[in-house]
This record gives sequence, C-alpha cells and structure tokens, in this order.
Amino acid sequence: MSSLQSIQQQMLQAVLADRAAKLRAIRSDEIAGAEDRLSVYHHGYRVRLHDALKNEFTGLQCMAGRRFHALLDSYVKVHPSEHYNIRWYGADLPSFLDETQPWCDKPQLAEIAYVDWAISTAFDAEDERSIGMGDLSAVPPNAWANLRLSMQKHLRVLTVSHNVGAFRRAADAGAKRPRLRRFTRARQILVWRKETTVHYRTLDRDEWHVLSAALEGDTFAAMCGRLANHHDEAAAMSRMVLLLQRWLEAGLIHGWATD
Amino acid sequence: MIDPAGLASHASPAFLADKVIAMTSAISSRALPYLGYGLGLRVEHYEALLANPGKVQWLEIVSENYMVDGGLPLVWLDRFRERFPLVMHGVSLSIGSTDPLDEDYLARLAALAERVEPAWVSDHLCWTGVQGINLHDLMPLPYTEEALDHVVSRVLRVQDRLKRRILLENVSSYVSFADSQLTEWEFIAAVAERADCLILLDVNNVHVSAQNHSFSSLDYLRGIPPSRVQQFHLAGYEQGEKLIIDTHDAPVSNAVWDLYIEAVRRFGRVSTMIERDDNFPPLSELMSELDHARALAEPLLRDAA
Repeated sequence: MSSLQSIQQQMLQAVLADRAAKLRAIRSDEIAGAEDRLSVYHHGYRVRLHDALKNEFTGLQCMAGRRFHALLDSYVKVHPSEHYNIRWYGADLPSFLDETQPWCDKPQLAEIAYVDWAISTAFDAEDERSIGMGDLSAVPPNAWANLRLSMQKHLRVLTVSHNVGAFRRAADAGAKRPRLRRFTRARQILVWRKETTVHYRTLDRDEWHVLSAALEGDTFAAMCGRLANHHDEAAAMSRMVLLLQRWLEAGLIHGWATD
Repeated sequence: MIDPAGLASHASPAFLADKVIAMTSAISSRALPYLGYGLGLRVEHYEALLANPGKVQWLEIVSENYMVDGGLPLVWLDRFRERFPLVMHGVSLSIGSTDPLDEDYLARLAALAERVEPAWVSDHLCWTGVQGINLHDLMPLPYTEEALDHVVSRVLRVQDRLKRRILLENVSSYVSFADSQLTEWEFIAAVAERADCLILLDVNNVHVSAQNHSFSSLDYLRGIPPSRVQQFHLAGYEQGEKLIIDTHDAPVSNAVWDLYIEAVRRFGRVSTMIERDDNFPPLSELMSELDHARALAEPLLRDAA
C-alpha cells in the first residue's frame, strides 16, 4: 500500500469512528493538537449528512419530532455514503427504518420516509412527455379494448397504514404536527410530478386497482374489468372515463399503444 | 516533442504515460475569457437574480446540483444559461483520491458541460473519499512527491476526458501531514505546471489555512504562478476556539479583503466572485460585497495599466 493510500484510509477510518482519534500522520503544533484538528472533519461529516437528510425527509422530521436527531444518528453510524452526490445519501433510510430496531416498532416512520423519498426522487426524475385527451382521440374505436397505457416512470404508489400524508402536508405548510392516526384498512398514496411540480394524494380504492392494472401493462378491457369489482356496468364505464380524465389532467400518462 | 531532460527527473512509468497522454490529447490550450465580477448561483437567490441581475456579470454553478435526470433544477439552469455566462464548479471529482476515478461521475460531468457550455470547469485540489466511501468533504492531501505524481496523472486523464483544461481550487485545511515535503503553494503550483491545468484561487481559503498552519499568506501568493490563475473566490469564515473554520456562511472579512488587494496586485485582472454556501443574506448584500470587490480591484488594475 502506498503512503498516500495509507494516509487516506487512516483519515477515513478516523472520520467514520465514533470518536475523533489522534493520528500519527497528522502534525500537532502550538495552535492545535492533531486530535482537535481531526475533530473538525469528524464533526463536519455528521453535520453534512444530517443536513442532507433534513432536506429530503421533512415529513419524517415532522413525525419523529425530538427523536429525529437520534434517528439520523443511528442511520449515519451504520451507513457511510457511497455516492458521489450527497443528494442520494437518503436512498436507504426508508428501508433502514423498516428493518432496524427500535424504529421498525413504529412502522409509520418507514411509511412517511418512503413517501418523502418518492417526492424527492420525482422532483429531479427524467422529463417525460405527457399525453392529453387529444392524443387519445387518435385511438381507433375498435382498438380501445386492447389499448395499453404507459405511465410516467417516476410515478410511485405507496401503501400506508397511517395518516402519513398529513405529516408531509404539515411539513410543507410549516403547520403544527398532526395527530397520528392508524387506518382500519391500508391506503395508497400516489406520488407524481406534473411538469416541474411534485404532487401526492391518497388514491380511492377502485382507482388504485385500475391504476395497478395500468402500471402492470394490462389492457383497457382488463382495467375496466377491475372496476367491475367495485361498480355495476354503467357506473363502471362512467367511472373509467372520469379516472382517465383525471390521469390525463394530472399528466400521469406518458403514451399509449394497441396490440 | 518529448523533452528528455524534463523526463529525467520524473522517470516513473506513470509520469511517462502522463506525458504521452498530455501530448496526444485534443485539449485546447486557448486562453480562457475574463468574465468580470460574479456570484455563486444558489437556489435561495434564483428569483431575485433573474428579476434584478444588477451588475452581476457571470455565475458559477455547483455542478452536482444539476447532474440530475430532469425536473426543476434543469429548467432553472436553462433560464440562467440564457442570461449569464456560466462556469461549472464541482465538489466530487476527488482528484487526489487513491480510488480509481469515478467514470460515471465523469460521464455525467461531461454531459453537463456539453449542455451548459461553461466558460470553464473547476473542482478542488483534494480528495473526498476512498475505499468507495464518500466523506463529502474537501480532505487535504499530504504535499509529497508521491501525491504530486498521483494528482498530476489524474488531472491529465480528466482533462483528456473533458477535452478541456480544468481549474483546481486550493481548499481550507485544518490538518497538515508529517510526511509533507512541499508547501501547499509549491504543491499547487507544481500540479498546475506539470498537468497544464489552471488555478481557482480561493483568497479566503488561503487566509484560513495560513492562520491554521502558521504560514504567510503573502508567501503563498508569491508562490503561485500568475499565468495559471483564472478565477478568484471570496468568502467568509468563522473563528473557532483554536482554528478558523471555513464556513462560507459569512461576509468576507477585512483580512480577506486585504489579501484580495494583494492578490489583484500580483495576479492582475482575474474573474472574481463571492461564494456563499449557507446563512444566505438577501441578494442585495452579496451584490454590495461584489461592488466592494470591484471598487478595490479596478483602481489597482487601472494604475497597473
């Protein structure tokens, strides 16, 4: 190993260690000792990672309150950053909260973290064209049964058992922390971006089933079939038209194809 | 032609390879433009800057903020690109790391440079991580012959990849190494000369490191070859208990303004900007600081002319 490699590896380990250490490779002088000098980097590392996570996980911060700092500490301690861009440092935080004691005992923390991260990744995801009603008017009437929609790639549907959306909305508005509520039945939150603005909303149950079909690449006939589980035939058709209009206006649909 | 005398003192295979790369590359040695007085572009000032650009002549973007796939960051970037000359300033090149250069990073950087067409691209003379772990900090290097060879070879490869000369910025530091054989200014000057790259001289960082390591900031300036200095940074710092901490979150200090005057005297007309990274004041305050830089430099430059 070269001496440059050795110095860099020693400094890396010293910065990652729980406490700033003293390294023989670093000079001490009358201004400050080696330990004090190294502690600037040791402290700065944690501050920067905390700041990056605070920017991305505003809903989680709202929910965790005073425990947020300890939560970030526990993540930083076991997750060194492996990406050159600090913007991606939080990618594993939601699954960390899902799997790690004591945070996994409160599943609402992972739920809001997944929502925060979906919002964050939608923000600077690849730009994709959205189609409008005019585009769909080109579909031949006899081809609708086999129509398949391609949805925006950045779109995410997240299943939650708590009112986590209220925490993100409170964070966005700088409002007071809401009361945590557990739903009697799980719900789905849709996260997407229209042009440059990221949106999120709770999906109706029937809409979730139809959207899932669209995301799985099912045909329009299969999507209508899913609605038939919720509505009678006439109501299903008008509901399908309504959902399609809603998706087009929201910019969720990237394109279409027929078999 | 390769100069055999020049090679004799640096006869390592790595150095020979570097020399060949340097001589066969398509890097332009054309002089870069003088841009005047500019600011570091930050989200906090997007709207104010477009509404009232004042006398801001150019902007420096943080490259990584725009190395994204799409969305609002690139929309803003295109708006500013229409209005201002831009330069790109990165924080993750990690030119001094003993890890291999990150090809994904370089590809994204090259793609961004193609989109922005910046007047130049810069990063820092430091390392930011090793063993695949990123510390997201500007870690100082030991100023050794080994580190010099290592950095020079990597600068040559980066310049070849980007098809342009890059600028490297001196970083503020809090540690120095027992192994160091050169002063910081000898090291940065040698990197610039041997790799044929340019220098982004952060006047604040010279002051911070000079205070932290008890060297003369004037000696530092005297050790930097004027022909290599393409850009100045001006920024603020925080006085810690024992060390000065480079926070870039405060107004430029009087000591740094004094050093800036000396830098203008030595290096002449150099594109200058105020760099603020946190604790953002209203844009008008940064414009006032920029006016102050202009007011200090222009009489000296007129006298010199």
